[in-house]
Amino acid sequence: MTIVAEKVTKTFRDVVALSEVSFSIGPGVTALLGPNGAGKSTMLRILCGLTPASEGSVEILGRDPRRDPGLFRSVGLVPQQEALFDPLTGLQFVLVGAELQGLADPGAAARRAVELVELDVTDRRPVRAYSKGMRQRIKVAHALVHDPEVVLLDEPLEGLDPRQRLRMIDLFRRLGDEGRTVLVSSHVLDEVEKFGSRVLVIAQGRLAAEGDFRAIRELMDDRPHRLRLGTDRPRELAAGLLAGGVVVGAWVTNAESITVDTVDVAAFRRALARVARERSARLREVVPLDDDLDSVFRYLVARR
Amino acid sequence: MMARTVYRLSLRLLVTRGRLAALVAVGAVAILLGGVVRAGGADVDKGKAVYDVLDAYCLGVLAPIVALVFASAALGDPAEDGTLVYLWLKPVARWQIVVGALAASLTVALPLVVVPSVVAAEASGVGHGVVGAAAAAGTLSVLAYTTIFLGLGLKVKRALVWGLAYVLIWEGAVARTGRGAARLAVHVYARSVLARMADRPEPKLAIAPFTSVFVPLVVAALAVVLAIWLLTRAEVA
Repeated sequence: MTIVAEKVTKTFRDVVALSEVSFSIGPGVTALLGPNGAGKSTMLRILCGLTPASEGSVEILGRDPRRDPGLFRSVGLVPQQEALFDPLTGLQFVLVGAELQGLADPGAAARRAVELVELDVTDRRPVRAYSKGMRQRIKVAHALVHDPEVVLLDEPLEGLDPRQRLRMIDLFRRLGDEGRTVLVSSHVLDEVEKFGSRVLVIAQGRLAAEGDFRAIRELMDDRPHRLRLGTDRPRELAAGLLAGGVVVGAWVTNAESITVDTVDVAAFRRALARVARERSARLREVVPLDDDLDSVFRYLVARR
Repeated sequence: MMARTVYRLSLRLLVTRGRLAALVAVGAVAILLGGVVRAGGADVDKGKAVYDVLDAYCLGVLAPIVALVFASAALGDPAEDGTLVYLWLKPVARWQIVVGALAASLTVALPLVVVPSVVAAEASGVGHGVVGAAAAAGTLSVLAYTTIFLGLGLKVKRALVWGLAYVLIWEGAVARTGRGAARLAVHVYARSVLARMADRPEPKLAIAPFTSVFVPLVVAALAVVLAIWLLTRAEVA
């Protein structure tokens, strides 16, 4: 395995950012999925040695990234922060990376990397004048200039337009197909789906799920869903839905609404109109209460 | 090779028009004061007057401020804005990053301190002895301050504020109160070198000749080692 994390815990004073996270990944693209603030960036920073784990250990290619700068000949990181060396042009920014990698022909390598992300090597503007998308792409070029075996990318698609996203996803998949280990973090479920990859789900500082994307997707779809139903006859509707077996729980919230839990949203939707008609209840609204990604992750954490 | 890349990069990031203009203006004040000494009447002890300008202004204000501005920013700015990650995640020994950043700071700070000090001494018309003294004391002072403030930039946020507090409160006030505190002030060592080379009477709280040169050099070397250690253990944003 290329990257191994063993019971990694990270605390910032009283806040636990990561709690006993263990995984190992090999060549190919792996997505690190989780909501904002879940601990993805902290995990990537620990993997690169930018910050030490409070407990546990990480290894990349069998080496400790915190103690072995030589390892960075084989590792490239696209960090989340936007700051770059502002007075430099894009090419100069990548050239600095190539020189610091000790490459034999840093100029040629820098031009190749800039062209790889479809930026103009003759652009004389300083990077401070770049759009967010261009800054993201030049960061990717900087990370890839030395042709690393391991590529870590922290939310690399943020700020890119849809066309650039597709090109970048294609690039990451290509890197994975070439046998490199590519770990990409994202909080966007649909984005991760496009990587068609293995997924590590991090939520609330814990590894909530891991495996093939389709398995994770099914897991997410199979979870109980909570909805609020607006009606003029809440008690009757709740009783009808419970009796019909399409909900696993129903509560009268107030005189005009109920809250229900269901594990099969499709069956619930099919049965709802019929039950309402049978109970002479008028339906005013059906509002999903937990369709946001955070609640999906919370569910995954709770079931582990 | 790597230290050279860090050096060129640091130089590019450190030298901004705003910084340069402001600090050239601060240096120009020294030259102006040197001219004022020359223009002084016959009853003015010009040797003492230019010594006071060099001691109080060039060594007491110009050198620490210029060194603070550049040295604290050399690694402190990248650490604060997060761009340090682009240096840290490279197969580069940490000492090469520190040496590159230090060399860049010295490249800018030395001329901005030593040139105005030397021109001020020359402008006073007192003689070549004080010119050499200004150059030597200024160089020693910048070397010590720069290495100290380089590490400070890595260690604390808003290093400029902390550095100013050190210069104004410790060096400007506390170090004047007694020999013990004076031994922890770069200014006192540089002043001793200046007085001796300019052939002035020994100042209050003076340091012995060898010690006044040796200690700042040792402090500079230790400060570099400390900066390397801090960078090695740094939590990079």
